[in-house]
Amino acid sequence: MTKMLEPKSLYLQTFQNRGKELAGKDPAWVKGLREKAMASFEEKGFPTVEEEIWRYTDLTTSLLQVPFGFEMEFTSKTSVSARLKGMGFDVEKAHLVVFVNGRFSKEQSSIKNLPAGANLTHLAELSAADSLKPVLGQVVPSDGRPFAALNMAYFTDGLILQVPKGKSIPEPIHVVHLSVNASTNTQSHPRNLVVLEEDSQALLIEHYLDEAVSPYLTNSVTEVRLSRGASLEHVKIQQESAKAYHLGTLVAKQAEGSRFASCTYSLGGVLARHEVETTLSEKKAECLMEGLYLARGKQHVDTRTFVDHLAPACKSEEVFKGVLDDEAVGIFDGRILVRENAQKTDARQSNKNLQLSKKSQVYSKPQLQIYADDVKCSHGSATGQMDEEALFYLQSRGIGREEARQLLVYAFAGEMLDRIPFDYLKHPLRQMVNDWMGAKP
Amino acid sequence: MLEIKNLKVRVEEKEILKGVDLTVKAGEVHAIMGPNGSGKSTLAHVLAGRDGYEVTGGQALFEGHDLLSMLPEDRARAGVFLAFQYPVEIPGVNNTYFLKAAMNSIRKSKGQEELDAMDFLELIKAKLKPLKMDESMLQRAVNEGFSGGEKKKNEVLQMAVLEPKLAILDETDSGLDIDALKVVADGVNALRGKDRAFLLVTHYQRLLDYIIPDKVHVLAQGRIVKSGGKELAHELEEKGYEWITGVEKVKA
Repeated sequence: MTKMLEPKSLYLQTFQNRGKELAGKDPAWVKGLREKAMASFEEKGFPTVEEEIWRYTDLTTSLLQVPFGFEMEFTSKTSVSARLKGMGFDVEKAHLVVFVNGRFSKEQSSIKNLPAGANLTHLAELSAADSLKPVLGQVVPSDGRPFAALNMAYFTDGLILQVPKGKSIPEPIHVVHLSVNASTNTQSHPRNLVVLEEDSQALLIEHYLDEAVSPYLTNSVTEVRLSRGASLEHVKIQQESAKAYHLGTLVAKQAEGSRFASCTYSLGGVLARHEVETTLSEKKAECLMEGLYLARGKQHVDTRTFVDHLAPACKSEEVFKGVLDDEAVGIFDGRILVRENAQKTDARQSNKNLQLSKKSQVYSKPQLQIYADDVKCSHGSATGQMDEEALFYLQSRGIGREEARQLLVYAFAGEMLDRIPFDYLKHPLRQMVNDWMGAKP
Repeated sequence: MLEIKNLKVRVEEKEILKGVDLTVKAGEVHAIMGPNGSGKSTLAHVLAGRDGYEVTGGQALFEGHDLLSMLPEDRARAGVFLAFQYPVEIPGVNNTYFLKAAMNSIRKSKGQEELDAMDFLELIKAKLKPLKMDESMLQRAVNEGFSGGEKKKNEVLQMAVLEPKLAILDETDSGLDIDALKVVADGVNALRGKDRAFLLVTHYQRLLDYIIPDKVHVLAQGRIVKSGGKELAHELEEKGYEWITGVEKVKA
């Protein structure tokens, strides 16, 4: 085998070329951010298993074995809206915003009327706007985050959602990031920015799909800024095919009394990594982080959460569940940091895994670091196999073993499904989990 | 209906059943009594098909078919039902959904049409009443957080819904107060009929005051050591098990 160009150099070289393409399109301040990001990447390089938060995800044997190009001249052959309808989404009721290979697709999107002052658009259109200066790269700085840095360096487009003070967008905002390719490997780096002003509300769905023939990389970053009393419901559905290498970073900064609820459904990809973080920077902010990951074959799904309790009287709750079959690997690394000033913190975290095969692997690492003395914190982790007693009980009532197994897996995952408060998502997500179970060869 | 011949069963290295013979005809109610550790529950579990038991000899025929070679679900579909001593809690599975899935699996195996949700709900509500069960328990997860009495009633409810030919009740009286015991017994008695047989596994005679058996067998040290009519149960209650197991020892 011929030796490939060392990955870091390859990415740096790609950046040089990409830089030429993007030159002239970016306003000066964006150009500055990109250069800084690349410098930071150049300095730090790709994360290695030496770093605690990457301990179980060795990129040298997975992602870095695969080169990705920037050919993006593909358009989707099918209607995204029709595909979503097929999944049970009542898309007529939602704002549909579609990106193909990281670039906004006007033809595929359909955005309804919005409250006065609200913005639901895409980055390429607004990248010159100074209003984005306090957001882009501010919630997710490039320093110390190699993939966020690459995203900053490479992004072409992404979602912009801005909701003004006191306004609410009643319809779900369904954002689809679709990757399409043919015989060459591709990559995309969507950058999504969400800004909710005081007492505003929105429901945002980030949905990752593909029509891919060759491997591809999705490296997305979503920056969320919530002002006082704002409330964002965020649902991520990672439903890409086995061609996908998925790295997603979702970070929120929360002001007083704001609420950030995030739920990550991870079903696809050969490698999927989800980083979800929030900083509760002012009192009485609340966050809810949930997730369900289902993996089989040789899938590797890695979830890393971080809740930073900076201010007093904030509340955080985390519930993550995983089902691992075949030789799949599931990782949960959840960290809660309660700083000295964060008295009266209420923080809870739970991770449960169900292993359906002997060869599947689970690494669960809940962590609590508490520096305040008047707090209520708990965390727990449990990993188990299929309950043989329950299986026999179901069989003894005439239910076939395979059906009984599915029923029990569904029951385990069902707890997450039951928690979904939105009619728009309930049925399609149930269907998705059902399909996953039924798809076992 | 059920014919057990010289059944020998081992759990790990230990022989639990050492040659059990038992014949149960349609319409009959048999009680299997015996001291703790005599093998009563093993017999019930082996007939239902639980894992972890090694049959080392003998056979069990159900309507002439080799029961022991069948999968647990196929036994249930053929008409065998085990009411568990410790019904399993299944969080996340709704009781109605479970009952409907069970019933429809059995119907399907018989080539009958599956019941839809509405028909099923009507059927099940009718079955709840005599058991004095609240409809709210249909919406709860299977046995999750149920009291001991509720769990046992739920077993009888399943039996009433699935209408088995042979019902095996494993220590169904354990953990029940007298009121719950009466309700459970009434539920069982209501199902008695000429086409259905019952095998009541119990340590105490108490249950047999409410469900009058046709025959009583004493299982001790892996064998049936004495069989008789319903009066045998009373005798056991008065004299204890040593009376029989002692006789057996002398004989041996």
